[in-house]
Parts: sequence; structure tokens; C-alpha cells
Amino acid sequence: MTVGDTHALDLTQLTLAESAALLERGEVSPVELLEASLAQIERLNPQLHAFITVAAAEARVAARDCEARIRAGGYRGGIDGIPVALKDNIETAGIRTTSHSRILREHVPSEDATVVARLKAAGATIVGKTATFEFAVGGPSWDLPWPPAVNPWDAAHLPGGSSSGSGAALAARMVAGAIGTDTGGSVRWPAAVCGITGLKPTYGRVSRYGIHPNTFSLDHCGPMARTAEDCALLLQAIAGHDPRDPASFRESVPDYRAALDGSIAGLRIGFVRHWHADHAAPEVIAAVDAAVEHFVALGAVVEEVELPPLQDYVDCKTVISLGELFAIHEQDMKTRPQEFGRSLRQRVLAGSIVRAEDYVQALRWRSELAQRTFAAFTHFDLLVTAGWLTEAEPNDPNGDDFFRNRLLITMPFSLAGNPALSLPCGFSKKGLPLALQIAGRPFDEATVLRAGDAFQRSTDWHRRFPPLHRFEPVAQVAA
Amino acid sequence: MTRPDTTREDIAVMAKVAGLDLSPGLFDELVDAYRLIEPSLQRLRRSRDRRDEPAHIYDPRAFMAADG
Repeated sequence: MTVGDTHALDLTQLTLAESAALLERGEVSPVELLEASLAQIERLNPQLHAFITVAAAEARVAARDCEARIRAGGYRGGIDGIPVALKDNIETAGIRTTSHSRILREHVPSEDATVVARLKAAGATIVGKTATFEFAVGGPSWDLPWPPAVNPWDAAHLPGGSSSGSGAALAARMVAGAIGTDTGGSVRWPAAVCGITGLKPTYGRVSRYGIHPNTFSLDHCGPMARTAEDCALLLQAIAGHDPRDPASFRESVPDYRAALDGSIAGLRIGFVRHWHADHAAPEVIAAVDAAVEHFVALGAVVEEVELPPLQDYVDCKTVISLGELFAIHEQDMKTRPQEFGRSLRQRVLAGSIVRAEDYVQALRWRSELAQRTFAAFTHFDLLVTAGWLTEAEPNDPNGDDFFRNRLLITMPFSLAGNPALSLPCGFSKKGLPLALQIAGRPFDEATVLRAGDAFQRSTDWHRRFPPLHRFEPVAQVAA
Repeated sequence: MTRPDTTREDIAVMAKVAGLDLSPGLFDELVDAYRLIEPSLQRLRRSRDRRDEPAHIYDPRAFMAADG
């Protein structure tokens, strides 16, 4: 690509790695990338509701500073100069952080979360704060100050959650990188139904300091992007021990991008087919089967493996989460319950009747389920299963509550705490994205990302483009 | 032993023990929520070996003041 080509490019179409390559060669500037991002947000956010807060002024100052530094020879590589969006449960100094809740509507933190400080140190430009489920819990609420985000593939569908806005913003090409949080699947679900890529790292790999809690013992923070390679670049910036997070581990951080050698020949993959084959739509089963055949074609050795039933993980995770949730929100539940949205309030109420012994028994069950899950890694390097059991859910304020009879295929790796990547592997008949999940041993994000990257080098599901013209302002369409 | 047919009165007692003073509308929400999680709780409440460790290991070093 030449400098001349660069200015004919729509910068919003570039992946994070492609933008970084142009930045490194001086063919695009951080300010140009930011302005392209802000223009896309201005054009599409009124319909998609991906962002709660756009920090345009702060971002422009940061991008200009970054540009000056790069011109002076101070380019840092990685995500330097890249616009990044943050889920709105991640604290940002001087920028409102609401957790999509009426309770924190005016909350402006005085300090950055550790992940934000690390993103800034790496040179990223913070564009704004994205929509979530209230306090990153449960399902969408239509009774909050901001509407739920909309799926860019089809406005009649939701973008999953709870990192809803981050998923929608990536699919809509508003940003090429975002940070989400994941307690039961909140990075991987929106990744799956928005046709993007999201990584839940190992529990303790990325600091939770400055992130509003959902469930202390299950909360993870992770990168979301359009490719596994981009997730690797983001993870590199945010991973590592943080003494301010008691769950953070002193574990060395490898060079994630260097691990992406394009080869998975000889990798042993356990295919946990029964988790989705017993519950998923036929088109999900077919798409995941095809993806597994693709891994075989790439040289991996794949065998089916049976793990505990999905329902066991869901029951166990639900009891742990509800118990902790009530402890976190008890005071507000007792003094101003009407300020919660219905979706969160129902879960907090449910948590009030989880007994202490139920909570401890659930933690004991978690030990057992983790041991049985990790036993598979004596024989396999990776596990694969569906990324989600369905296409994106309908955008219907009167529809079923997400609480009811839900089996979340993301929860086994939430409970076990090992790394898991969601990436696109097909489309439904309606044209909505379907996804695959790849999980690895604790702290082996590198192998998970390597497999995801190898899959994406030889498929194009992640390059498909949603019909964004449907969300154009009416006046522009008419013109 | 928990009965699977927990009554509204039973749930009212549990809410009181939890310190909640709920309006009739919120109490109805709680009853709905309880009905949804009751099956999970039933599956959870089973005999375990006395030695089974919970996934809850406390590392006192994590709560020491950061060096320097």
C-alpha cells in the first residue's frame, strides 16, 4: 500500500493491525484515525446506541499529543495511536462512567482503571464509553436512561451482552479495538452475535482494578476486535500483574503476536460437541461442524470429548453470581430499588435468598467442574465448541426475560477461568453471524490466539460487512 | 431439606431474614425470580464429601500494601 492509496482508503474498514502498520510507516496519523472513528460514531450511533459517552474532546487532545510524539520518533508500536472504546463499567478519570445505570448517571471517576492506564501508556486513544447491561449483569433493560445497543447486522436484533456497545461499535466499524468485561460470557456473547472476535483471558491475567464488579470471583476483562491478531495486540497492552487487584497473578506475559505463526499443524483439539449439539439451532451445529473440519484441514488432530453437562456449569455459575450480586448491591436494593432497571433488580432480589451454604456448595461444585474440565487438557491442547447457541436474540422490550431457561455455552470457561476466544464461523439463514469458541489451558492465551488467527487467515467470516446503510441518517440516504 | 414447592410465605420469611422490606410489586418480582433460580438451587443442594474444597483460596500476600 502506498501513501497515495492511504487517503483513498476508508480508514474505518481497517483492522487494528492494518492501522498500526500504516501508523508505523507514517502513512496515516492518530488524528486521522480518530477523526474517521468519530465521524462513523456520529453517523451511526443515533441508531445503534453503541456509545453512552463519546469523549471527543479528550480523545482529540490525546491523538494530537500522540501524533506529535510519533513525528518526533517516539512510535511505541502495538496499539500506539489506535482509537479504542471502553465498556462503561471501566472507570476513566474525568470521563463519566455509568455502568449503564441510573444509580451512576452522573458518576465521574477521579482515577483510571488499571486497564485504562495501561492502554494510555501504550499510546491508545480512548474514544468513549460503550453501552452495557446495567452493571454488566443479566440482560437488556428498556427502563434505563439509555436504550440498549442495537445489532448492526439487523436492528430487529440485539448485539448480545453485556459488552453490547463494544460489540456493536466494532461491527459498525466505529472502532477497531475495544475492551469488554466477561463474567459469564459478556465478551464472547456480543462477539459471537456481532460477527467480531473477543477474548476472555485467564482469570487474573488482566487487572480488574477500577472495574465495577459483577461477581468478584468470576469477573474477567478482555479485548474485543475484528480479528484474533487485533485481540493479541490489545491483550499485550493490558495483561500483567497488578498489585491493586488481589486476584491478579504474577505470571509472565509472552509476546502474543509473535505466537501467531499461522500454523496449527499437530495441535490436539478436543471437540465438546454435546454442549451445543443438544441445544443449538441446526445452522449453529452445521457451522461449528464445518469449522472443526477446517481445523482438521489445517493439520490439527480433532477428537470429540465429553465434559460435564452444560446445565451443571450454568447452575453453579448462577448461584455464585447471584450471591455475590446481592452483597454488592444490597444497600441500593434496600434504599432505592426503583432506580434499578427491572432486569438487574430481579437478579439482585434473587440473590437475597441465596443462603451462605448454597454459595459455599456452589464454590465446591466449581472446584469439581474446573477439575473435570481441565482433565481434558491432559490429552488436548485446546477445546472447541459453539460460541453461542443461537443467532442474535430479537430486539423486543416485551420478549422473554434473558433470565428464563437460558443455557449459556460461554459459562463453562467462565467457571473454569481458562482463556476462551469467540470468533465468527458462519451466518444464519437470516444473515446473522454465528460463532465458534476456542479455549486453552490457564495462561495459554497464546495458543488460543494462534488457533484463532490460523482459522482467520484461511477463512473470511470475520471480513463480512454488516449492512450499515440501513442505519444512515434519513436525510443522507435521501440525498 | 428445602421443599421444591416453596410458598410465597416461605419466600417472605427469606426476604425478611435478608433485611428486605419490599413493596407488593417488588415482592412479586422476588417470587418470580425465586421460581427461576429454585431449580438451580435444588440441583446444587446435594451431599458432598467433607473434604471437598471450595474454589476459594485466600492468599494473604495479595492484600499486603504494594511494594514501593
